[in-house]
This record gives sequence, structure tokens and C-alpha cells, in this order.
Amino acid sequence: MRWVERPWFQGAACVVVLLALWEGASALGWLKPFQFPPPSRIAAASWEMVVAGFPTGTRIGQHALVTLQRIFTGFALATVVAIPLGLLIGRVPALDQLTLPIVTFARSVATLSLLPLALLWFGLGETSKVMLIAYACFWVMLTNAIAAAKYVDPVLIRAARTMDARGPALFFRVILPAATPRLLAGARVAIGIGFMVIVGAEMIATVAGLGALIMEARTFYRTDVSIVGMIALGVLGFAFTAGLGWLERVLLPWHRGLAEVRR
Amino acid sequence: MSGARLREIALGVAGTIAFLAVWEIAARTGPASALFPPPTRAVAEALAKLPPATIADHVVVSLGRIAAGFAAGAALGIAIAIAAGWYRTFGNLVRPVIEFLRPIPPLAWIPMAIVWFGLGEASKVFVIFLGAFFPVLTNAYRGITGVDPTLVRAAQTMDVSGLALLWRVMLPAALPDIAVGLRVGWGLSFGVLVAAELIAADRGMGFMIMNARQTAEVGVIIFGILLIGLATLATDWVLGFAIRRSVGRWHPV
Repeated sequence: MRWVERPWFQGAACVVVLLALWEGASALGWLKPFQFPPPSRIAAASWEMVVAGFPTGTRIGQHALVTLQRIFTGFALATVVAIPLGLLIGRVPALDQLTLPIVTFARSVATLSLLPLALLWFGLGETSKVMLIAYACFWVMLTNAIAAAKYVDPVLIRAARTMDARGPALFFRVILPAATPRLLAGARVAIGIGFMVIVGAEMIATVAGLGALIMEARTFYRTDVSIVGMIALGVLGFAFTAGLGWLERVLLPWHRGLAEVRR
Repeated sequence: MSGARLREIALGVAGTIAFLAVWEIAARTGPASALFPPPTRAVAEALAKLPPATIADHVVVSLGRIAAGFAAGAALGIAIAIAAGWYRTFGNLVRPVIEFLRPIPPLAWIPMAIVWFGLGEASKVFVIFLGAFFPVLTNAYRGITGVDPTLVRAAQTMDVSGLALLWRVMLPAALPDIAVGLRVGWGLSFGVLVAAELIAADRGMGFMIMNARQTAEVGVIIFGILLIGLATLATDWVLGFAIRRSVGRWHPV
């Protein structure tokens, strides 16, 4: 195959051409730099975010750290409750049928529609943001934990029973390992959703965090900084979901890919 | 109806009633009842504050925005996915750009949406468009590129090629994946609605609850949350029903 036909070359060429067109169009005055800050301005703003920060003093790393802290605190709170509860519900059919409508409805409730309630209940500080993330992650983790426990291959359980495994031994040696792939897949989805929700949660009453950064920067006519924040969010979100995917493959070499996951 | 199914429904209803009862009792006996009203009072309060015509208006405006953004996102997502899956070079060209933009949360585009489209309807619709666009695109692309080559070869032996091959073989085979994308995209459209309606809105369900926050009308907020949830659930059910009736004829969905 000639190098012009190689996918990576075509992709890279497309990106380079687009960036060059963008830069050129704004140098010629066809694109307003405020509306479409050219790549050179975005690069300069990235450097500014690394050394000086926006608002001055708050560097990109600090914004990212605040955002990640909110996401992971909420995720951890949700997981600690959702996994045991979900596994229990999944193992007891009556409990599953009892809670199904509530779980279905709670999952349909858009997390950000809870924003005004969270602000009234938990104030304008960290708690309201963490609780929103926790809500979003909780239902994803719960449904995945329920499904994980429910769809453990009955053959595995029967095989373990014939070897006299029951109670905690059955749970920790058979059910939990069999449920782990789905739990990890659920964690990946939950983190992804956490990255979506945090931007909305950071739109109000905070100046720290990547979501706040992109909103603040716009009000100061610094759209180049907004775009740096967007890219940072995209890169972090991608890195963490990809990282969890990698973790799945490392921790569970016997389980290659889980096509059917309840989201 | 079988006994097991009846039991399932009965348990579901019982669970829901128990949940609402616990909420009602906890809110009535709890100390902070202004911030944590029982469900009956929340609904009564909302209905007393908002005339039904106003509520209907908020619902219609929001659904209109979602329909517009979703339709645009789904149409463009499917079109690009088909083009990228069908024309290999086009696929190579756009894939890096899409892969770069995809992880950026839709809500992170809000500042740029305001800069590009102003504070009117267009910026809200654009944010909803993004919510629908990426899931539809990625699922449709997976569907198109994952079509069983045997089907394509079988069609080719019968002299089907070009657009007929795309329309009669590739698309039907990719539809189950496209349907999944549509449902995820529809859900995400609702997910970003409230944030989209934070942009200088004066109508819509998102506006309704954010506005109630200013005056701390918790009843209206809870009513609004339930309303948005019900709208999501009901429309998703309709979409799922339509998909089962159409795609479900040749593929279990």
C-alpha cells in the first residue's frame, strides 16, 4: 500500500489541512478570532494555562484536580452503596421485582434536573456537586450490579454447590468474580457520565474546576481559554474511560470484551 | 397473562407504593419539611402555583427543542456514519476529527454555542444536537462497518451493487445498531436539556425548575423533576416500541 493510502496518513493530513485552513481563514479575517480562536491562539492559551492560569493563579492542573476530585468522590460514594445493594437485589428475585419500577424511573430522571434541588438542599459548595455526580453514578452502578448478580451463570453456582460451597464462600469465590466484568464495565460508563454531569454542575456557583473555567473564560471574552478547557475535559474523559478499559483487560484476562452491558 | 408476570407487576406496584409512602411519611414527620415536601404536597403546590396551560407550554417548548436538536443530530450522525463506512477514504479523513471531538462533553460546548449562535433558540438546540449526534454517529458507524460480509457477497453474486447494495442490504443490516444509537441519543438529549435551558431561557421545563430555585419553591422543582423523568420514560417507551415494530421484525432488539 502506498503511504498516501494509509489510513493514519489520510487522517493526519485531514487534521493538518483543517488546522491550516482555520489558521489561514482567521489570519485573513474571514473568521472572527473571538468566535473561532485560531489554533495558534489556542496553543498560546494552553501555555498560558500551564504557567499562569486563568483566572490568574489557577493553573489548568488545579482546575483539573478540582474536577477530578468531585467526580471521584461522587463516584466512590455511589459505588460503595450501589455495588452491595445491587448484588443483593440481583440475587433476590422478589427484591428485584419490587424495586424495578423505582430503579427504571430514577435512571430516567436526568441528573442535571436535580441541580436546583441539590443547590437548595446542599448549598452552593462542594457537596451539591459531589451529590449530583453520586446520583448519576449510583443508578448506573446499581443497574449493572443487579444485572451482574442476576446473570451469573447458574452452572457455576450449581457446580460450586455440589462442592459444598455456600454462604460467604459461594459469594466471594464464585458470584463476585463472575460479576466483576459487568461491575467494571458499569464503572467505565459511570465515570463517563460523571464527566458529562460535572460540566453542568460546575456551571453554577464556582470558579474552580474545568467546567467553571470554560464558562468563566467566555464571560471574559477568552474563548481560546474555553477551548483549552474543553480539550482538557475531552482528554481526561477519554484517558479515564480508556484506562478503565485497560484495567478490565489486565484484571480479567479470562474475560475478553463484554458486548452486552446494561447501561 | 401468566402467574409469574402478574406477580411481577403486583410486586412492582407494591414497591412503588411503598417508596412513595415512605417518602410521604418521612417528609411529614421530618423536621425540614419546607425543603423536603411529601410528594402529594409537592404536586399540589406546583399545580397551585402554575396554571396547567403554563405547564403544558413548558413541556411543549422543551419537547420542541429536543425534537429539533435530536432530528438534526440523528440525521447528520447517520449520514456521516454511512458516508464514512461506505467511502473508505472519507472514513479515514473524518475519523480522527470525530474521535477527538467525541469525548468532549456536550455541555462543555455551551460557551461556544453562545458565542456562535447567541442566546436564542439556536444555541439550546445546538447543545441538544451534540447530545444526540455523537452516540448516533458512533453506533451507526459500528453498524455499517460491522455488516456481515457474507450478506454483502451474497447480494453481489445477485448483481446488487452501488446504492442498491447500500439501501437494500447494508442499511437494513446496520439498523439494529442505528436503533441503539437513536435510543442512547434520545436519552442524552433529555440529559442535556436542563443545562441547555440554563442559557437565557424564559420557557421550557429546565427553565421552570431553575426559576423555581430562585424563589425556593421546592414543590415546583420536585414536580418538574418528576415531569422531566416521566417525559423521558414515556417518549423512550414510544421510541422503543417503534423500533421493536420496525427493526424487531428481523432482529431481536
